[in-house]
Amino acid sequence: MRATISSLPPPLPLRFSRTWRDGGAAGREGTGRSGRLGIWRRRRPWLAATEILVATGCFCALVQGPQWRESAALATVNLAVSLLFVFTGLMLGREPGQRVTAWALMLAGVFRCVDFVDAWSGPWHAYTLVFGGVDRLFGAWALLRYPNSALSRLQRWYLAVFAGWMLAGRALIVVTSTAQWNGYPPSWWPALMPDQQLSDALNYVVHGGEGLCGIGLMALLMNRLIRTRGLDRIVITPIIVAGIAAVIAAIVSATMMMFSLSSTPNGAYLVEGVVDFAIPVAFLIAVLQRLLLIKNVTELTAQVAAGGDIGAVRGALRSVLHDPTLDLLDTSESSLRALGSRSPGRLVSYIRAGQGAPIAVVVADPLLARYRELFDAATTASGLALQNAQLQARVAQEKLEQVRASRARIMEAELAERRRLERDLHDGVQQHLLGITAGLTAAKAKTSDPEAAAAFGQAGMSLKAVLAELRDLAHGIHPAVLSQSGLGAALEEVTERLPLPVSVHGPARRLDASVEAALYFVACEALANVVKHANATSAMVTVRVGESMLEMVIADDGIGGVTADAGQGPATHGLPGHGLAGHGLAGHGLANMADRVGALDGEVVIVSPPGRGTRLVVRVPCG
Amino acid sequence: MRVAIAEDSGLFRSSLALLLRSLGAEVTASVPSGAELLAAIRTSLPDVVILDIRMPPSFTDEGIRAAREIRGLYPDTGILVLSTYAETSYASQLMETVPSGVGYLLKDNVTDADALMESLARVAEGETVVDPVIVRRLLGRKRKPSVLDTLNERELEVLRHMAEGRSNLGIAKELFLSVRTVEAHVTSVFTKLGLTPSDTENNRVRAVLTFLRSAGAPG
Repeated sequence: MRATISSLPPPLPLRFSRTWRDGGAAGREGTGRSGRLGIWRRRRPWLAATEILVATGCFCALVQGPQWRESAALATVNLAVSLLFVFTGLMLGREPGQRVTAWALMLAGVFRCVDFVDAWSGPWHAYTLVFGGVDRLFGAWALLRYPNSALSRLQRWYLAVFAGWMLAGRALIVVTSTAQWNGYPPSWWPALMPDQQLSDALNYVVHGGEGLCGIGLMALLMNRLIRTRGLDRIVITPIIVAGIAAVIAAIVSATMMMFSLSSTPNGAYLVEGVVDFAIPVAFLIAVLQRLLLIKNVTELTAQVAAGGDIGAVRGALRSVLHDPTLDLLDTSESSLRALGSRSPGRLVSYIRAGQGAPIAVVVADPLLARYRELFDAATTASGLALQNAQLQARVAQEKLEQVRASRARIMEAELAERRRLERDLHDGVQQHLLGITAGLTAAKAKTSDPEAAAAFGQAGMSLKAVLAELRDLAHGIHPAVLSQSGLGAALEEVTERLPLPVSVHGPARRLDASVEAALYFVACEALANVVKHANATSAMVTVRVGESMLEMVIADDGIGGVTADAGQGPATHGLPGHGLAGHGLAGHGLANMADRVGALDGEVVIVSPPGRGTRLVVRVPCG
Repeated sequence: MRVAIAEDSGLFRSSLALLLRSLGAEVTASVPSGAELLAAIRTSLPDVVILDIRMPPSFTDEGIRAAREIRGLYPDTGILVLSTYAETSYASQLMETVPSGVGYLLKDNVTDADALMESLARVAEGETVVDPVIVRRLLGRKRKPSVLDTLNERELEVLRHMAEGRSNLGIAKELFLSVRTVEAHVTSVFTKLGLTPSDTENNRVRAVLTFLRSAGAPG
């Protein structure tokens, strides 16, 4: 691993020095270092959490006091709901940035039990009447806040109006009424200006206003649900649904009490209490969900473990992090330049291979800053996958290079072998036969025996035929003119044997021997196909040598319609009398051409619209 | 007829010398390379030199290089290249280098003693001889438009025979025509190729050159 990392590109100019760069809400959360609840930074957080739960449980049990005798069921539900709220608050407090929401939840839980302090006799009835809705305020706060760590201006206004209306309105009811009017036994009551009519009217107005606030909360929650995207949406959906259910339950319960639809108010409280369970449960589900999301990373790892390319990893990250706007860029200069211009306010994070230089950059929705564990796990998995892919690509590239080099070596060896064969034929068999022929002719000239002369003549003629065949064979194996005069001359020789006019524009200079040989054989192959299948009246061979690339174009005015895989029909014969069929070049058609050109790192392209001729273009790098 | 041979292959060289001697020619030198031939003919100048194309030291086109050098030093000596290669480009190259008193024949011609001796004689006399195989290839070739397109079939045939080194009489025999008719075609060829009819022998050479250049020159 280490060896490969060292060959990665050098570290980038750190234009984005902060790994986490987000202009969103997370930035404002900076106060409590990690934004977690304090107890989770202790040495034994679980013990502390248990202590808090036990203490809260005792307090909530005590504060309800006589309620246990009056309605044990209601007291139990209250205790359970409160404990669940506190427990959920504690759990939520583990997450970064949720400290305040956690407090809101815990306070909502505690105040929920404190509401029932009026079971005791004493001044508590007035307290309950005024402050009995504080738990709902905290609950609304938590609902609106999670998982954002800040409230919008509208949300802040809403909470202020809600709190103000409820506390001020209820205080007014208290001072304009007596304990009895509110259904309490006689006890201490700050009845400053008792007026039953006014008090009744205020009762309707204040509670009606609270009902409207409840509807307002539902509207705000719906609005949040609609506006939230990505992971946030997955996480908050159960909370918002539970919140809306709780608001409805509270409104129903309040209405029931107001119109005395329920035989005892405790029944209404019980219903409300059971529905209230939904809120902490939903928060717990959210917390669990966030933990479960991390499990998705294993899915991601599985998806890209085989070493997906950057596109596959990008797709996997988008799906796992539920952010369709997420982008994954390589660390090339151009990517980074593009990154600088298009990522204001986006979350930017580098993916590194171990301790090495960054190998990719993630640009994502800033809300993912709240899912840092998930995000980090996902990017780490991606980093491994990308590195794996890079290694695989490098291995594949090396293999490709090896194959290419070996193919080039094979072609060169073949070329050398062909030249050797041609030379051997020329210098050996051909010259020997010619010597014998000359000897025979001399013998024929010297003999006076007419039968011997005829026999010598016959042998001479046979030898001449053999010599012509040998000459064609040698030319087919490797045309001497190719080595000696180059591609242009060799192509001229080929085309003058063809039954159609072919204009040849050869290269202005000599080329590499292997390039000349490859182009020559490809041209022979292509021209043989033109003659056999194209039904052309003329053709053209042009070789152009550029600075880094040379191009050979073989064009005809024939029937066209050549497909890259089939060639112009089964080409089984080479050029007539050219020995091409003898060495199997023509039999393999286009594949053979592609092989020869591929060995030179070049390409073959065929453009052949039906009825409009065929154009075969060979491009080979040169330099 | 005094002949000097430069031929790389020992067996063919000795057989060729044997053949030429048996045909009554005097072989003044028989060497394996152009350089040695130049050294040999300095002391005893032959009527014709016979050259191979591919010889030491580079085994590429020594024959053509030697031809140029010999023509520069001894303009009256005929040059006959005997080659294994039927490629028109070698013939064209040779004709470009040495325009007259030159021949390009395939070695296969050693089967025909008379034709060989006749070619040697023509080259020695300053005429141009091209192997029929190569001429046929040039003629059979579908060329780019050239001045030769103005010639009719019969005139082209006459020109082909001229290129092969035949006299008017030879052409007449070959084509079963009267010498007068052949002469008329020859004049017509000269006119169409834009040659003045005054200097007949030089015109023959020029006509053949025109033929070779327009038909044989690569590119």
